[in-house]
Amino acid sequence: MENNTSATESILLVDDNPTNLQVLFQTLEGVGCKLLIAKNGEMALSIAGKALPDLILLDIMMPDIDGYEVCRQLKSNPTTFDIPVIFLSALGDTEDKVKGLQLGAVDYITKPFQPDEVIARVNTHLTIHRLNREVESQKDQLEHELEIVSEVQRKLLPKQLPEIEGFKLGVHYETSRYAGGDYYDIIELSDNRYGFLMADAEGHSAPAAVLMAMTCALFRSYPGSADDPASVLHYLNEHLCKVADPSFMTALYIYYDANLQTMQIARAGHPLPMIYRNSDQTAAEISCPGVYPLGIEPYEIEIPVTEVKLQPGDRFLVYTDGLTERFNREGRTYGEERLLQTLAADSTPDPQAVIAAIMANVVQFADGHPADDDQALLLGIVQAKRHF
Amino acid sequence: MEISQKEENGIVSIAIKGRLDADSSLEAEQVVKEALGGDTNRLLFNLGELEYLSSAGLRVLLSAAKEMRRRDGKIVLCALNEFVKEIFEVSGFQSLIPITESVESGIEALS
Repeated sequence: MENNTSATESILLVDDNPTNLQVLFQTLEGVGCKLLIAKNGEMALSIAGKALPDLILLDIMMPDIDGYEVCRQLKSNPTTFDIPVIFLSALGDTEDKVKGLQLGAVDYITKPFQPDEVIARVNTHLTIHRLNREVESQKDQLEHELEIVSEVQRKLLPKQLPEIEGFKLGVHYETSRYAGGDYYDIIELSDNRYGFLMADAEGHSAPAAVLMAMTCALFRSYPGSADDPASVLHYLNEHLCKVADPSFMTALYIYYDANLQTMQIARAGHPLPMIYRNSDQTAAEISCPGVYPLGIEPYEIEIPVTEVKLQPGDRFLVYTDGLTERFNREGRTYGEERLLQTLAADSTPDPQAVIAAIMANVVQFADGHPADDDQALLLGIVQAKRHF
Repeated sequence: MEISQKEENGIVSIAIKGRLDADSSLEAEQVVKEALGGDTNRLLFNLGELEYLSSAGLRVLLSAAKEMRRRDGKIVLCALNEFVKEIFEVSGFQSLIPITESVESGIEALS
């Protein structure tokens, strides 16, 4: 590698012996960096903290604060911990080298040194440090951009849940990273009728967020009749097939008539919806047959539609698999059984309270293991009928 | 996850053990891609010791199935345990990729 260091880079040379410092200075004069010098450990720490050099060549054997201690202090200070340190010492034992490297030094040069070797190593570590900084800054930039994606994504979700006569809704939505692939939406049709969509793009973060946004755009521009769940899924699939490959999107679409309290459900690869029946106080999955997920290939069969009649006190839950596939420390998943039990546990008519109980149960189960997928739930509870 | 592959009588077999999830799917994808490097058009997945499969894992299998279809070839998934089989049923993937009870019946289906 030729001399390609930038003039704005600086190297701090630390040695208590003036002759050594001079030799080192002369050796590195041609590298093209600003050279700073320190004659003892205390000075080294002070200059490093202020000037934040790009590299430090550090002698070990010094009175008062020795090189090991300087290194330890640099590495424990958040402003200096990432400055690469090369130890430079007459100590040639393997043990000393190991000790230096364990303290976080990037390299070790034994005195008396060969000038060419010092220059080569310095150049190498300056390059590594520069690349590291670039990666860090690109990572920050990327995270920043993902945060913006996430903000946009939140705006795509319904701002508030509709007030549906006799059917109270609650929701929970969280992404495992900045942006996610889960999506829920609700459209209001005329005359107390509604369409609910719950969908989950395979994967998470930016690629899933793109699919999610696209599904949202498609769903909201659906030209057909939203009271026909099979048509809605056919439409979404037709368009997602053009763009989703190799990914896909699972989805549940539910048409709900609040007058009749009936649901019509169509399912594309999505986890089965769950229902808690107030009459026998048990919760179960609704075994609705379905088709494979959206975005793979056109459906050549009719998409089955399952009709469900709800009764007062019934709870209807749709969710994404980030919830049931949430792992705990032992590597077990939360699973459908626990979710059914929690769905049945509480007798409150408030869906948001039931969701809070479910999420608390999931978090307790996970026992500190972080969520590695997005999680969304939409829960509706049929309210007791008013008597006139 | 542990993944291995071999070729016998013109059939490429890929055995996946443990968990095929978001973390391991990249490695699995790479192995599948390499295994399909030649012009093979008979692909068998031995999933007898697959314990867990996430949607990222489904994507790996789906990509392989699409590739075999492009080649006018055949693919089969064999010996799924109950849990994995249920994932295939609920997700509707059983209508996209053929499944057999055992490796032997899988080989037969490919012949």
